[in-house]
Amino acid sequence: MAAEKVNDQERDNPEMVALREEALAALSKAASLAELEEARVAFLGRKGKLTSLLQGIKDLPPQDRRRAGMMANRLKGWLEQAIDEREKELRRMELEAGLRGERLDVTLPGRHVTYGSRHLISSIIEEIEDIFIAMGYRVAEGPEVELDYYNFEALNTPEWHPSKSLQDTFYVDASAVGREDVLLRTHTSPVQIRVMESTSPPLYVIAPGKAYRHDVPDATHSPMFHQVEGLAVDERISLADLKGTLEFFAKRMFGEDRAVRFRPHFFPFTEPSAEVDVSCIICGGKGCRVCKGTGWLEILGAGMVDPNVFGYVGYDAERYSGFAFGMGVDRIAMLKYGVPDIRYLFDNDLRLLAQF
Amino acid sequence: MRVSLQWLSEYVELAIDAYELAERLTMAGTAVEGVEKLGNELDGMLVGRVLEVTPHPHADRLRVCRVDLGERSVDIVCGAPNVRPGMLAPVAPPGTRLPDGSTIGEAVIRGVASKGMLLSERELGISEQAAGIMELEEAAEPGFPLKKALGAEDTVLVLEVTPNRPDCLCMLGMAREVSAVTGARMRRPHFQLKEDDPPAADDVRVDIIDSDLCSRYSARLIEGLEIAASPWWMRRRLRAAGVRPINNVVDITNYVMLETGQPLHAFDFDLLKDGNIIVRRALAGESMVTLDGVERRLSPEDLLICDPRGPVALAGVMGGEHTEINEATTRVLLESAHFDPANIMRTSRQQGLSSEASYRFERGVDPSGCARAADRAAYFMRELAGGRIRRGVIDARAREIAPLRLSFRVERASKLIGIALEAKEARRVLQSLELEVTAEKAGERGAVLEVEVPTFRPDLEREIDLVEEIARIHGYQNVPSTLPSSSARVGTLTPGQRFKREAARVMCGLGLHEAVTVSFISEAWMDRLDPAREWLPRFPVRLRNPLSEENAVMRPSLLPGLLEAVRFNVNRRVSDVHLYELGRVFLPQEGEALPREPLMLACALAGDWVPKQWSGDAEAVDFFTLKGIMERMASSLMVQEFSLQREELPFLHPSQSCAVLVKGEKAGFMGTLHPRVCDHADLPRNIAVMEIELSLFEAARLEPHFREIPRFPTLQMDLAVVVDEEIEASALEKAIRETGGELLYEARLFDLYRGEQLGEGKKSLAFNLVFCAMDRTLRDEEARASFEVIVTALRERFGARLRA
Repeated sequence: MAAEKVNDQERDNPEMVALREEALAALSKAASLAELEEARVAFLGRKGKLTSLLQGIKDLPPQDRRRAGMMANRLKGWLEQAIDEREKELRRMELEAGLRGERLDVTLPGRHVTYGSRHLISSIIEEIEDIFIAMGYRVAEGPEVELDYYNFEALNTPEWHPSKSLQDTFYVDASAVGREDVLLRTHTSPVQIRVMESTSPPLYVIAPGKAYRHDVPDATHSPMFHQVEGLAVDERISLADLKGTLEFFAKRMFGEDRAVRFRPHFFPFTEPSAEVDVSCIICGGKGCRVCKGTGWLEILGAGMVDPNVFGYVGYDAERYSGFAFGMGVDRIAMLKYGVPDIRYLFDNDLRLLAQF
Repeated sequence: MRVSLQWLSEYVELAIDAYELAERLTMAGTAVEGVEKLGNELDGMLVGRVLEVTPHPHADRLRVCRVDLGERSVDIVCGAPNVRPGMLAPVAPPGTRLPDGSTIGEAVIRGVASKGMLLSERELGISEQAAGIMELEEAAEPGFPLKKALGAEDTVLVLEVTPNRPDCLCMLGMAREVSAVTGARMRRPHFQLKEDDPPAADDVRVDIIDSDLCSRYSARLIEGLEIAASPWWMRRRLRAAGVRPINNVVDITNYVMLETGQPLHAFDFDLLKDGNIIVRRALAGESMVTLDGVERRLSPEDLLICDPRGPVALAGVMGGEHTEINEATTRVLLESAHFDPANIMRTSRQQGLSSEASYRFERGVDPSGCARAADRAAYFMRELAGGRIRRGVIDARAREIAPLRLSFRVERASKLIGIALEAKEARRVLQSLELEVTAEKAGERGAVLEVEVPTFRPDLEREIDLVEEIARIHGYQNVPSTLPSSSARVGTLTPGQRFKREAARVMCGLGLHEAVTVSFISEAWMDRLDPAREWLPRFPVRLRNPLSEENAVMRPSLLPGLLEAVRFNVNRRVSDVHLYELGRVFLPQEGEALPREPLMLACALAGDWVPKQWSGDAEAVDFFTLKGIMERMASSLMVQEFSLQREELPFLHPSQSCAVLVKGEKAGFMGTLHPRVCDHADLPRNIAVMEIELSLFEAARLEPHFREIPRFPTLQMDLAVVVDEEIEASALEKAIRETGGELLYEARLFDLYRGEQLGEGKKSLAFNLVFCAMDRTLRDEEARASFEVIVTALRERFGARLRA
């Protein structure tokens, strides 16, 4: 409210001073717009006190009229402004009071917005892809229904190898295709052969995808599973390069403080071959139930491409060397997210899917 | 493979503890899966000497024995017939736990207190022998812990031997490996063979008919044997190796197999006709009964050991029942042969019969080791079973398998491994594995070693095999870690791969959860969806050996898998199911061995799209929920000219069934699942589904291009028209766009109304139209004129009238 000092001239006029005081009191007493309107009428209405005072000026002696007129008008101006300001203030207060009445229970759930999720297998595959893309690899693909030639023969697997049996490998019914050598790939490795057949070195590729084995489902086996295959062929590729590459991968994937261990192993299509362990991501290497007390988790098979494999695809094994590796995506997903049973991955229970 | 360290230490010094050894072997390629401590089951048991045996006062069959346990003597009631004063026997004092889990207590047996138990071998868990108390050798002292007296304290390494290393399937082979990784010297067993005349060849004859499958057959004849249990030390070792002791003759063949890797077989010579062994393939229709009592039907590819009467053993797999060693056996023909690995594997698999012998033969047994293994077994039969060894080995050699010679370039190995290898170090490693370096030459790029590979390493056939030997003995942990030095590589995704990722993200963003379902479906699902095979392939990719009929077909559509997932959730009371899957389907191609495997994107929506909430009602999934998702997906992925066209598919609700078109080409389907399918598959009604071939969407993708934004005010007008029910909204919209001219900026359908006042078979559609000009402020009259043109066109083309 305008509360300027009462000036000397007004002080000369006790009537005006009193009126002003009265108006001030009335305005601050007005607690609503209606009361404010009443106050306005009481002072400025047709029969209002200030109106009456103004009307009374014409009855004053002429020498006093001008000064009294000026003072009364000034008072009127002041009063109008004061009412205006009081009105704004009252409106602000009314709005504020109204808003306070609109109090919400902010703990109610938010309005439903749909959301979705990637399957954890897809997330892991993308994560693996991105790590290798950053190292200069491309992503290759190959068919899931394959020929024996790509799945076994060109990968240096002997004709009599047990993994080729009907107990281990799914074969496609021969009556439809008229041949017996069509099967569901048992690993993503045939993509190696397909890539090498169609490309010349140097090449750096990974190949994610589904693979199939004749396993009855249990907590750790599924007839369908996922792998990521890797292949690098160039001049002067060494076992040391394989180690460095997979160490880089393992640390990116499982954490910089993971140790990585390479153990000699045997695979038909690599030589030398290795199994690769990372220090247990559950216990950090101290030994627990997940790593069976060893402190290590096997996550990869790898090795230097066997010269026989280069023979199948017409690469010069004296000039080029290469490494290959394959990893089980499902197992990595299970380890990384603590999923205890591989079958959970393919149940597609929304209560699981929505967690990732 | 189970390796007793106590046994192994006979052939190589073990200066490091079991865990350190396990670690070193693992890091050299023989993974140690477990370290087992043996002998703990004998804890608490003692050696006792029976001092006195007196009859039990109240039982005829029982006796009371005074037993000296060193520091004290106790009375034990015992029923065994063989107790006698002076014998040393195992004693379990009260409180001892027996291997069968029971605990010995202090008992009063028919009025006599018994402080413990005298034990039989069966009670000790070391054999089936239960007839009497086990007799211990004289060397033991009363009161001595039994496990020490029996030498039962041992550690067994459980090894995972890779299939390329048959040489590691025996104690001597493992001793060689341990020697290579620890540097300790190997000690070969020495023995003197004492033979007796007349020569074995007088009575034994071996004919190898099928020499392609049997390169060598060594036989020995041993007479005067007495079948009994083998000595404790041998049984203990067999047991540690996981082989059940049977009798001395059989145990010896197993023991020598475990020691040398050469499987042996003992025939009762008197049951062999004419002492004549014939090695040949089975005849058509032939059969025999193997030791396990099973009658085996043979195929002409199975190799047999026969006498002139017929089969006596399935070669390399299992002996025949007829010539089995028995209590009465006194003469034994010992077989030590070399068979073709692939053939043994085939027979073993075909017969579903695997044995310690077949396991070794199918991986490859040293062809040079036959005679020595036969000698070793003969030696034990003389020493342990009282046999006389007839002079000479009948050694039928059909083919000679000579050691291989390989050249090894040191520099090549260095390059492949990534280390600086010196010739001297290479030579040391190779020799530690008993590979003979016969010469060292200077090659173009450094030293070349000439290496002779012994016949017990059939896996070493090429230079690269030697490189691997160097790498693993050198230790992978000692190979540095580097990255490929070439910079000639760029990592990237193809446009197709990127599109796939984007599609997945968009589907998630639109509120769907990604499913991964198995690629196998059942024929029943095919029948359920499309009994007449109008749409699904008539001859899908079927498996020859499915796990079950439920999993016999490679999916020609993602739909069955997604619907199974819907059912899985609904059955678990999760009724609002919004799933998509990105995966391949398998479509046979005429004249091609392999099917086409297009990448499909499919969705299944069931239940509510928006659940009931405090702020409003539920909104059930319907056709238009999914259509909205597809439209949004298409626009997010910049797919042009996406539309739906009515088309009846056998598994969709006939009135809510569409083909999905992009650029006028069919890319898949969308609709509501036919209630027949829902009911048949035990699914709720109202499931919206779609499936598209992703590459067709990708092909219809266009880079977005800037379209001018109105800079002058736009005018909005609503157009509501009444038309016949059959008129489709898209036809009206198309006509509006065509006739609206340049000034029509946007047209959007916002209302559909049916009501009595419109009349039977009529509906009202309302569009919001936005008019503007790009170069000026549009005047009302101009927009009105355009509007009128549109109204006229709709009236003429569709009989549409403006709704009042």
